[in-house]
Amino acid sequence: MIGVLASGRDYCQEVYRAWNGFWFTPKDPATLSLLRLLAGAMLFYTHLVWSLDLSAFLGPHGWLPVEYLRSEVQVQGAQGMQVPIWSVWSIFFWIQSTWLLWCVHLFALTIFFCLMIGLFSRTTAVLGYLLAVSYAQRVSPGAFFGLDKVNVMLAMYLMLGPCGARYSLDRLVRLRRSQQAPLGGKGPIESTPKKQTSPAASTSANIAIRLIQIHLCVIYLFAGMAKLEGANWQAGTAVWWAVANLEYQSLNMTWLARWPMLVALATHLTVFWEASYCFLVWNRYTRPLVLWMAMFVHTGIALAMGLMTFGLAMIIANLSFLSPATVRRWVDPLAARFSLLLVGKQVG
Amino acid sequence: MSARAKPQPAAQSSAARSSSVRTSSSRTSSSQVAKPARPAGHELPWRPAVRGLVSLLLAYHLLAVFVAPWNLSTRAALPPGYTPGTDPSGRQLPPPGPEDPSWQQPRLIRALADFCWNYQNLAYLNHGYEFFAPDPSGTHLIRFWVTRPDGKVIAGHFPDLKEQWPRLFYHRHMMLAEQTAGMGENSGIHYAEHLARVHGGRAHLEWVVHLLLSPEQVLSGKKLDDPDTYQVLATVDADAPPTPLPPVGAETQEQLPPAAAATYPSGASGGGR
Repeated sequence: MIGVLASGRDYCQEVYRAWNGFWFTPKDPATLSLLRLLAGAMLFYTHLVWSLDLSAFLGPHGWLPVEYLRSEVQVQGAQGMQVPIWSVWSIFFWIQSTWLLWCVHLFALTIFFCLMIGLFSRTTAVLGYLLAVSYAQRVSPGAFFGLDKVNVMLAMYLMLGPCGARYSLDRLVRLRRSQQAPLGGKGPIESTPKKQTSPAASTSANIAIRLIQIHLCVIYLFAGMAKLEGANWQAGTAVWWAVANLEYQSLNMTWLARWPMLVALATHLTVFWEASYCFLVWNRYTRPLVLWMAMFVHTGIALAMGLMTFGLAMIIANLSFLSPATVRRWVDPLAARFSLLLVGKQVG
Repeated sequence: MSARAKPQPAAQSSAARSSSVRTSSSRTSSSQVAKPARPAGHELPWRPAVRGLVSLLLAYHLLAVFVAPWNLSTRAALPPGYTPGTDPSGRQLPPPGPEDPSWQQPRLIRALADFCWNYQNLAYLNHGYEFFAPDPSGTHLIRFWVTRPDGKVIAGHFPDLKEQWPRLFYHRHMMLAEQTAGMGENSGIHYAEHLARVHGGRAHLEWVVHLLLSPEQVLSGKKLDDPDTYQVLATVDADAPPTPLPPVGAETQEQLPPAAAATYPSGASGGGR
């Protein structure tokens, strides 16, 4: 009996240690900073595109008037007693004039741009998330799709950690200030040259990355499970029906009609990959396979089906599984060139 | 084993060193030796109370993330072996309506969804991830004609690659046509009113489904944009009540011969949604 209790206690201690290690071990913010750069660029571009017909999609009276959405679509309650869902919110629900709409839009684009280049990163990450939700809620339903979900997901987790610790203007500003600070005075806390060029490991950076990773696992798990219900996914023909869709097509893949076995292989592989992603991505031996498959699938969707932005957003999210050391090995040399140009010093 | 055995001499030497330097604090040094190894995590920067609070918040957030697609992907079910009975002439009745008590609701999932509902909405988490699922289907388009007061007619359709660029802008228009099915007939009226307002006239809309071709049809030379592949599902006028929009998949299937209905997947599950 005592042995059972002791092993139970050991198990709990192991779980406690594993939980702490998984969530609260400080990590180099390199991966989070890279995601900020890429997701910020994606947020900026995808919201810039709204400018082409801003009033029609986001104005009070466009394709789907706000009043219609709030009184007939985004409602809850019994028939005849339906009221707008208070927790579905958007700044665009309250904007009535075109000039104010454009002011908010330009403000949002500025925020997304600052997030991309890493200027006032902690502030712009929070504002960027709130604005991304505002845009997405205004067009849901209507013109939203998977891109908006991934955009908001990335923006949500970026604001949790020091996303501007690397590859940002914030970092260059800090370096410049540290160079100008008098020696021995009330200067930077990190005074040695080595520390100046190396942001501190951060627990919140680790939490943000872990949340992106787990959220991505949930996305793939339910995408895979939904496909398992489809007769064409079961029959191994779904990839054909996807590439035979003219409205999606950006690359003619109808030559696949001659290769039914290849179509079947691609279909079944897609389902198994999506359904098993959440299990295989945590193992160091299967992780590269799963991530390369993600690159292959999303690049294929982007090139062949015209979903370039969605494919890129998913690839960006998958980069959350890269270790900070790998990110630094790839990105630091590039970042060093920029910093040399801007502050006369090579840093990552 | 060796990893566990090694720290002991180190601890002893540390204690010996400590006692040699601080001879008056023998109790302290002995307690350092006897103290069991603290669990990993004591060097973590956040205090246990903070970690506990953050852990609770993380658990709730991840529950919300998980429950949203789970709730949307589950449906009520009839008991095994349930048969809906027959009418007086012996024909089988359709399945009971959604209010019928025979339906078994996924109670746990619905309860969890209620628990997370407002948080999911606030954070924009309340959606599923059905990318091209359960089956890829034909796309929907909207054709329009706006008759201006001077008699000039402006015709077009969306999505339209020639008019809408870049691709993301085109895709937004594709979603407009695609998602009107889930919003009921009134969405079509609003599209027509918008077009009438923009072009200054009276708008007439056709909601169209573009059916997909099988590999055999493509190999036989049929084009993906063959006129046969477009079917009008409903029409809408800006200042007239619309013809009712039929349910998406059912309408398409009914209009096709049985063999064709089996060939063409239908439904409104757009890619990337």
